Amino acid sequence: MKTIRKREKPVSDSRKRLLGAVALIGLITAGCAGDAELDTLQPQSDNARDIDTLLDRVLVIAGVIGVLVLGAVVYMAKKQRVKSYDGDDEFPEQISHNNTLEIGWTIVPAIIMVVVAVLTTVAHFSLNETEANAYEVEVEGDSTSWEPKIVVVGQQWWWEFRYYFTEDVDADFLDDPRNLPPADIVTAGQMVIPTGQEVELLVTSRDVIHSFWIPALNGKRDARPGFFAPWEISADEPGVYFGQCTEFCGLSHAKMRMQTIAMDDADFQNWIDEQMVPQSAPPENPDDPVSRGAAAFLANCSSCHLVEGFNGDEDIAAAVVSQAAPNLTHFASRTTFAGGILNTYTEDGEWNRDDISQWLRAPEVVKENYANGLPDGELPRGMPNLGLSERMISDLVAYLETLGQKPSAEILAATEVE
Amino acid sequence: MAIIEEPLALTSGEQHAERPLGVLTRPQANGSWKDWVSTVDHKKIGIMYGVAAMFFFLLGGLEALLIRTQLAFPESGFLSADVYNQIFTMHGVTMIFLFVMPFAAAFANYLIPLQIGARDVAFPRLNALSFWVWLSGAIFLNTSWIVGGGGADCGWFCYSPNSGITFSPTNGVDFYAIGLLITGIASLVSAVNLAVTCLNMRAPGMSLFRMPVLTWMLLVTQFLLAFALPVITVALLLLLFDRQFDSQFFDPEAGADPLLWQHLFWIFGHPEVYIIILPSFGIISEVIPAFSRKPIFGYSFMVFSGIAIGFMGWGVWAHHMFVSGIGPISVFAFSMATMFIAVPTGVKILNWLATMWGGKLHFSTAMLFAVGTVTMFTIGGLSGVTHSLAPADTQQTDTYYIVAHFHYVIFGGGVLGLFAGVYFWWPKVFGHLLNERRGKIHFWTMLIGFNLTFGPMHVLGLQGMSRRINTYSSGFGFEFWNLVATIGSYILGASVLYFLWNVYKSKKEAPNLPAPGPDPWDARSLEWSIPSPTPEHNFDEIPVVESQDDWWFRKYNIEDDGSVVRISSAEDAAQKGDAVGVHLPSPSFWPLVLAIGLPLIGYGVIFNLWLCVVGGLLTGGAIYAWVLEPVDDPDADGHGHDDHHDGDDPDGELATVGAAGDDTEGEG
Repeated sequence: MKTIRKREKPVSDSRKRLLGAVALIGLITAGCAGDAELDTLQPQSDNARDIDTLLDRVLVIAGVIGVLVLGAVVYMAKKQRVKSYDGDDEFPEQISHNNTLEIGWTIVPAIIMVVVAVLTTVAHFSLNETEANAYEVEVEGDSTSWEPKIVVVGQQWWWEFRYYFTEDVDADFLDDPRNLPPADIVTAGQMVIPTGQEVELLVTSRDVIHSFWIPALNGKRDARPGFFAPWEISADEPGVYFGQCTEFCGLSHAKMRMQTIAMDDADFQNWIDEQMVPQSAPPENPDDPVSRGAAAFLANCSSCHLVEGFNGDEDIAAAVVSQAAPNLTHFASRTTFAGGILNTYTEDGEWNRDDISQWLRAPEVVKENYANGLPDGELPRGMPNLGLSERMISDLVAYLETLGQKPSAEILAATEVE
Repeated sequence: MAIIEEPLALTSGEQHAERPLGVLTRPQANGSWKDWVSTVDHKKIGIMYGVAAMFFFLLGGLEALLIRTQLAFPESGFLSADVYNQIFTMHGVTMIFLFVMPFAAAFANYLIPLQIGARDVAFPRLNALSFWVWLSGAIFLNTSWIVGGGGADCGWFCYSPNSGITFSPTNGVDFYAIGLLITGIASLVSAVNLAVTCLNMRAPGMSLFRMPVLTWMLLVTQFLLAFALPVITVALLLLLFDRQFDSQFFDPEAGADPLLWQHLFWIFGHPEVYIIILPSFGIISEVIPAFSRKPIFGYSFMVFSGIAIGFMGWGVWAHHMFVSGIGPISVFAFSMATMFIAVPTGVKILNWLATMWGGKLHFSTAMLFAVGTVTMFTIGGLSGVTHSLAPADTQQTDTYYIVAHFHYVIFGGGVLGLFAGVYFWWPKVFGHLLNERRGKIHFWTMLIGFNLTFGPMHVLGLQGMSRRINTYSSGFGFEFWNLVATIGSYILGASVLYFLWNVYKSKKEAPNLPAPGPDPWDARSLEWSIPSPTPEHNFDEIPVVESQDDWWFRKYNIEDDGSVVRISSAEDAAQKGDAVGVHLPSPSFWPLVLAIGLPLIGYGVIFNLWLCVVGGLLTGGAIYAWVLEPVDDPDADGHGHDDHHDGDDPDGELATVGAAGDDTEGEG
């Protein structure tokens, strides 16, 4: 394990930068004898770096103390060891105390801790300063000054990210996590942020406590129902940064993952433009699997999942405990699904029919849930097995592929866990 | 010194003469198994605590091995997510509440009266009650596997609202709540009992600051228990009412804040860490001096640092909540408080090292375990300092780095120390030694297994592996160290089995080996001044204590030039254990009956309220019978006379009366 702070110098072409970052990450992980996308010791943002620096310093202090204590024990074990006590003359000097010494070694650890406390205090308060600056984005043709703020909502067992570009996102605006105001962009599993920009997060939950954590970018923050916990995140470089829910949240806690994708300004603007476009119904054509898939979606999925412009334009109160299911409007623009555990595209960049089909066929096998065979009155948690026919599944897979633009090759490549 | 000048008991000696109508007979010891279930002897109770705790150690260890087997390889399907969640929950609950705490209670029960020169604890029947209530709670908790639809699946910390009926619809969490309420009663009763024992039952001359460090640490532990358990009791009751009677203490939809549970749980939960660790600190404070041939270095610093840890332990609970969103100022305050608890802890470590410094170190098995405790705890303490840095903790919390840390503290600092105590006091309890050669093999396999299991978890945590995940994907770099940890856990498991083998073999070999005598380790405290195994009445005569380490000074004298001269052999100085007719408290079945009623009430709350009536009648009836029971049985042979011992000292009588439990038991 090694802390690596080297960063590539920014070059003009963002794609090159992304490739460079990916290559660098590749090198680093290779150097660490394994990939470590969640590594806490490879910070990629100011906050994460501050934390890492603090930890490094204290680890050095702790290491020295540890070596001294262990060394003293080993030394005494070697020097003072006796096989047995045979005679009474084997008594060492009977020293019962030494006040000077003891007061000394009460004060010295206290002084060491004062040093540690000062380091911590400085880091702690600098981390809790919000430095989010206004950021110009174009929303539906109008330039608007966005204070980068994303509402992060956890629920069993996936994350939702909500972008409000024009509203003042404060306590009056956000009230009930289960009934949030309609957002400009709602996405799931992958949060997209502009590179080099402090982004404020308001982390909450629709059911139990979860914890939002992208180790390379910052520490974690619990998502607690009824409360919007402030947090912030930023990334030095464009790239895909991995995360995992870290507060035990029930059955499929292990399979609640997320990613943060940092894009440069142009790519971020493109992403916004693309995400703002609603879908429309494909033309009816019984021979076209996409058309059949759209119909199957309306029949089977639309009471929980929203495709904006097709089955509504406001959030649907899904019949699950959290009252929410992922918004699928731009499903194909995301590289992961099912709570960040499956890839939407294969390693070759092809639409991942197999995994998506399997998810539709038997979600409870891919990811354990409480959605099938429940007693009366109990709401599901997780995606139910709808008993879809194979034909319907393949139609739905075809339809889902039409929802949104395929992400760039770089992002696709960086999403894969190697 | 005993301070009860006049017996407060409602009953008095007159009962010896006649038995009024309605007064029950007390059972008599007759050498059968009934002696064990009716015993009020602190030694038998201590042994039962130890045996039962060891059983739950094996159970908790089995759960640990299932966890590690599941995590040995990525994407493993060995256990389902549901079963895994139950097992890691029950592993934590079992190890903390059903192993480490009662195992420490075994030492506290057995050793506190011996170390302070008493014949029993202050309230012998209450002591029996503590054990039986704890055992009934422990069994109750584990019956949830059979009748509760599985174990609790909310983690030992059981955060709301995940512990609510919506998110955990099986009865596991109900068993968790009621089971811990029952064991909590046991710990609370025991805490009061043992604290009173320490304060009131000391032999003449055994001033507080002559008490052995172990007794001191156990005393601090009892106060921590007495103040911490009411908090978790409140929390568990609220949880139970939420689940069973639709109250809404923790329901966010009704406006509750889930932080309430977190605060209540950790106000209990953090002192709990010191409840677990302080007995072990006490044990090694006895073992290290004996095998360094030196007195404990800085007795008063050791005692006061223990007290300081006990106090400061109350001001750090929210360091478990640095990422909960409690606000930067709270986080800062708790971060600072947590750092400075390292100071008294550091003092202890340095004083142990200073005790060894210049000493003649004999690495017996007990000493190996004690030194292992110091070193492993140091590692755990230092990683603990890195969590106290609130910013760093936002990366570390809920990762395997924390799992590594607290196992170094609880296993490295706690369990290894308890094993040091097992090897050290085994001859005192059972009259024969545990084999040293096998003991050393046990130690080294345990140390290696322990480090292989938990050492790699530091790396895994820093690599970003979350806690409480039933599986992980390949590609995050978790594979190698998880496999190492799993291999380590099997070695650790094997070392525990090897310990049991050592127990069995040592017992078999004992008749052919010389008896260990009263003082096999040439130790320092009063329990070594009486025969091994301890006679039923402990002390023939209540000793009169003249100094700290009184027993050692009966064997040795320190000359003016600082040299040590033997003045008596241990055999000569020791009591012979041949006193007859010593007044001892009579056995009673009622603590057991009372304890059986409690789980019935528990099942009643969960399944059918009528069962509560049955349990309530049993418990209430047992309390009633307990009251109607004479404090002593007039017919019992060898009992009920000779309260008065040779009164060399004016205080002897009080101590004896107290120790015999005669006057005090009426209140019990």
